[in-house]
Amino acid sequence: MEQFDVAIIGGGSAGLSALKKLSDLNKSAILIEAGNSIGTKNVSGGILYSKKDPQGRIYNVEDVFGSDFTSNAPVERLIKKYLLHATSMNKIFTIDMTPLHDYKTNFAYSVLLNRLTPWFAELASESAEKHGGGIITGVHVSDIQWVDNKTIVRTNELEDFAVRSIIAADGINSEIAQITSARGKFTPEEVYFGVKVIIKLPEKIIEERFHLDSTEGSAHLFAGDITLNHVGGGFLYTNRDTLSLGAVYHYNSLLSNPVAPSQLIDELIKNPLISEYIKDEVTLRNGNEGLSKEDQLKVHLGVSKLIKTYNELRDKYFSKDNMKLIESGKFGNLEEVKSKIDSIKHDLNEKFGVQFVSNYVELEFSAKLIPDGKRCMMKKPHFKNILFIGDAAGRGIFIGPKIEGLNVGIDDAVRAAIAISRSIDSNNFDSNYLGNYYESLVNESPYTREMSMIDENYLNLFLELVKDIPMGTIDHRLSFGLQVIKNKHLRGISLRLANYLGYNRILPLIESEKTYVQIPMLLANKLGDIVNSTFVPSIPTLPDRIANLQYNDDSESHIIVNDKKSEFMKKLILLCPTKCYSLEGNDVVLQHEGCVECGTCSVGTVWKHPKGEKGIRYRYG
Amino acid sequence: MLHVAVIIKLEPDFSEGNVSYNSDGTLNRAETKNILGPHSAVACNAAFYCKVRYGAQVSVGTMGPPIAESALKQAQILSDAEELNLYSDRMFAGADTLATAEVLKNGIEKMFGGNKIDIVFSGHRASDGETGQTGPQTAWKLGYTFLGNVIDFEIDLERKVVFAKRVISLQGMDTIIEEIESPLPVFITIDPSYRSIFNTVSQRLAANNFRKEASKRIEDTGQYLKILDGKKLELDPKLVGLPGSPTIVYRVEKIPRAKTNRKAEIVDPSNVNNLAPVIEKLIQISRGK
Ligand SMILES: Cc1cc2nc3c(=O)[nH]c(=O)nc-3n(C[C@H](O)[C@H](O)[C@H](O)COP(=O)(O)OP(=O)(O)OC[C@H]3O[C@@H](n4cnc5c(N)ncnc54)[C@H](O)[C@@H]3O)c2cc1C
Ligand code: SF4
Repeated sequence: MEQFDVAIIGGGSAGLSALKKLSDLNKSAILIEAGNSIGTKNVSGGILYSKKDPQGRIYNVEDVFGSDFTSNAPVERLIKKYLLHATSMNKIFTIDMTPLHDYKTNFAYSVLLNRLTPWFAELASESAEKHGGGIITGVHVSDIQWVDNKTIVRTNELEDFAVRSIIAADGINSEIAQITSARGKFTPEEVYFGVKVIIKLPEKIIEERFHLDSTEGSAHLFAGDITLNHVGGGFLYTNRDTLSLGAVYHYNSLLSNPVAPSQLIDELIKNPLISEYIKDEVTLRNGNEGLSKEDQLKVHLGVSKLIKTYNELRDKYFSKDNMKLIESGKFGNLEEVKSKIDSIKHDLNEKFGVQFVSNYVELEFSAKLIPDGKRCMMKKPHFKNILFIGDAAGRGIFIGPKIEGLNVGIDDAVRAAIAISRSIDSNNFDSNYLGNYYESLVNESPYTREMSMIDENYLNLFLELVKDIPMGTIDHRLSFGLQVIKNKHLRGISLRLANYLGYNRILPLIESEKTYVQIPMLLANKLGDIVNSTFVPSIPTLPDRIANLQYNDDSESHIIVNDKKSEFMKKLILLCPTKCYSLEGNDVVLQHEGCVECGTCSVGTVWKHPKGEKGIRYRYG
Repeated sequence: MLHVAVIIKLEPDFSEGNVSYNSDGTLNRAETKNILGPHSAVACNAAFYCKVRYGAQVSVGTMGPPIAESALKQAQILSDAEELNLYSDRMFAGADTLATAEVLKNGIEKMFGGNKIDIVFSGHRASDGETGQTGPQTAWKLGYTFLGNVIDFEIDLERKVVFAKRVISLQGMDTIIEEIESPLPVFITIDPSYRSIFNTVSQRLAANNFRKEASKRIEDTGQYLKILDGKKLELDPKLVGLPGSPTIVYRVEKIPRAKTNRKAEIVDPSNVNNLAPVIEKLIQISRGK
């Protein structure tokens, strides 16, 4: 049987960082990823932060992937603006939260994981190969066993192999945690549910619309009626030539008031501010009814080609690389490109009746659970010779508008790599030596503190930002809170009291419909500006959204329902983002083919990831 | 060190939009895009397997016009070959399979500076009118054991033997899988159903490394490419090209275009309702109606 020092299970941002760091510490490690290639299984919002903290060391992305990360990595935009929009119908009240975003931040980029993690993988495997390690994709780890002092890794695709230690970076629905009973499944109380669509929008239009320069980006958060009465909110991040529009809701809140995830997205899109943000000029073809069927089809195919040319040219014209069109020699200057675009547009319109209307273009629909670290981080993120990192360890920061998982996973990865490297050097993989040391390193992380207690400075900053909003005049019930906010002394006392009581006691107060829905709606109603949309977006149906996804089907289901009659499973009929569940008689039945592996049904099922290379293949993530 | 050769063939790309015909209905070779033949690609995969499993060195050879270089490049991506050989000379024109085999034999004998090749892989056959004889004839000329239709193989490097599985399908009989052991050197034609399986961690890692190496190598194919003419191959002009081809093509039958006896109806898929009758028809067909 082959033997290796370290196996990292899971090639998301956390696992790849662990591989890079271990290899840079001159240790040999292999990484096993179930997806057919890196990046196809990972979903984020997402903003990748680099942070600093006076009270402790944070290991950031640039510490792992090089100080030239910001200039070399395929990141989207440097987030410079951070705005919170309170919504109520067509009334929007916006608060500039940029100081909150800047708090303890070195930099933050919007990212698409299927663009970024393959780059991580390239650097990590380059380092790993120097020490005989590397990345293996398309392999699903199905079991771990300890036999005769050996840790044996079993997969669906390869011969068993032995390892001396494991880093479990297999995400929120960690099978390694289940197989080893290192932790129970996360309960709906402990996690958030995220759903997102990627929207196409030409680069220059993004810059013009959001008032950005060519590398800058902005983040927009939404709370109020768009939540359909749930605890959580929406987000819109500008990428280079796309937008990430999504929503995150406390899973418990969705369970008590079930709604289809795609409807949560639709609700965002219908908001006039958002529909104006995503608006683009889109082609609308007519049916050519007068023609014979055969001719209709011919015209259809011909027009498709012309529309494709039009779109490609238009996207290039509106991109920052538009001068390449001139360099290629096809055009003399940008004016010529513009007139070519106009002439195709004219042809499409005059000859084929194609109209150009305001609408928007969705590229990808995705969904995933997110750990709320303050509720579910593993107190002991290790088991025997296995160290858990990132989402697998339930580690993520979820506080108010803050969602941070990527940076936390990277910080964990470095700590795990340091601990394992020490074990290799001293040839001691005993859980007391390896696991406890890793635990102590993780406990030193400022992120762990952030997941354990309220950061008074952060909250203070937030309260400073909202203190001038005349909330008392809006609703007298808020006056007491307002007094506390306005008075620094009272603020300090109440924060200390809150920390004394602990997160668990005060969470129901902070994370409630009141904070996420009612207060924002009140603000918008009383103080907001009216925003009207100039068009009605035609929103794809869920079947359209699913049809646009790519899968490699497995005839065998990776999920088995425990109790087909349970109330929980009945709720999944609505809550599964791709409607995999339906009712047959009294039984909830599963059709696994459309599964996007979000993990929402995992509490009521025997839940595994699909076998290697099978299942969803995200193109953006 | 195991030395492996792959004989590949540049073939017309018959896919839509790439193939072009003359007015008399024959293939217009000059206008038709050429690619590495699908059977040749499978042979390259087998060579790559030898590289990953047994650390083999791979040399690829093909007879053809200078444009065959593109197929050699494609073969290098698949096999991570250390050597690419193009056998190109006007005197090869008009060669039948036997004359081709003569060129290939001399080519193979010159690979790796004349170091003896242990296994020669070739595709099952070509898709543009070759009859599957080049492989066996080259094997015969080389004096190598010939193994056809191989679907799986392992090599014992110490004993210098190959264990191979080959499919034998005879009309009217069950398909047989024959297991054979043969001393090296051998000439293997690979069955299209062959798949390389790497099922240990080290094999996967090695395969990744070689794939990376291959993608670096193709950035500068010229460095690996040798173009050999008849002279360099020390070929006897009487044995190659037209003079070396005993096959006499005395007439070419134009294959009459088959009359279509199928009725086609175009269905517009943009309207889902149009699909219902299609499904009904499919159900009827599946029920044998
Ligand atoms: C909608 C949404 C918005 C978010 N926004 C942000 C944000 O703005 N900023 C931020 O920092 N974070 C954000 N997050 C959180 C962040 O995306 C995650 O914390 C992060 O992606 C987790 O990385 P990971 O490597 O731990 O896990 P994952 O990315 O889930 O990777 C786990 C990997 O393990 C593989 N795997 C699983 N099981 C096996 C197995 N048995 N064998 C082999 N391979 C296996 C999977 O295929 C997968 O590739 C957001 C998350 C969501 C869903
Ligand atoms: S079946 Fe379960 S894991 Fe799959 S998409 Fe539906 S809820 Fe998510």
